[in-house]
Amino acid sequence: MTNQSISMVRVRETLMVTMPADPDDGTVTAIQDEVLRAMERYRPKGLVLDISAVETLDSFFARTVTETSRMVALMGGRTVIAGMRPSVAITATQLGLGLGNTLTALNVDRALDLLSNALPRRQRP
Amino acid sequence: MSTLPQGKLRISSEDDIVMARRAVREAATHLSFGVTDVTRIVTAASELARNVFLYAGSGVMRWSGLERNGGAGIELTFEDHGPGIADVEQAMQAGYTTGAGLGLGLPGAKRLMDEMEIRSKVGDGTTVTLRKWLRR
Repeated sequence: MTNQSISMVRVRETLMVTMPADPDDGTVTAIQDEVLRAMERYRPKGLVLDISAVETLDSFFARTVTETSRMVALMGGRTVIAGMRPSVAITATQLGLGLGNTLTALNVDRALDLLSNALPRRQRP
Repeated sequence: MSTLPQGKLRISSEDDIVMARRAVREAATHLSFGVTDVTRIVTAASELARNVFLYAGSGVMRWSGLERNGGAGIELTFEDHGPGIADVEQAMQAGYTTGAGLGLGLPGAKRLMDEMEIRSKVGDGTTVTLRKWLRR
């Protein structure tokens, strides 16, 4: 009932995933599953998780996002978390949440810049 | 502000955690909290609603608007009849968890709010009360 649809698009070498505003735990877990399957199917080099619509980032959501980026890294991809709102950043910091070593960007544009700068170095023979 | 928002919600599924966030968002917004405070209050509610569901299986969240010396506030209460917390001081330490979580729920919620009280008895249940006051 509260499950929300997930938008996932492959643009060139990047998989773009837009997080819904207020997903339940099941949706957050489903996103992780779908992202990993899409990594295998579409073989992108990078993943952009757009969280600009997300209004509440609690510890479960943050942990799943961090885990997902680690899993994607194990598969050989890079993750950039894009577009965290100021109110969410303030709250996450006070709650004690970090995103580990996951790259972050102000918005999707910057995330794509980050990936295109980061990628060639990974392609060295 | 003529009527202060109040209500209660039973928490017994993952969906109810989302419902709890929505109810608290609506109440806090109605009380004229700014967007950052609304986010803090909703996030604290999300952590505690999940604790109720994870540790006790079910429980009740109550919310009410407060008035004190002309200032507005919000109070959230989470009551369950689960296993209770053996050592409340330990549970308040960041990183301590008996479950699968990060151990940020209780100490994190306390930092996000102005006041927090925990009453818990092993085998009897837990009641957590949180308050946040509107700054003028």
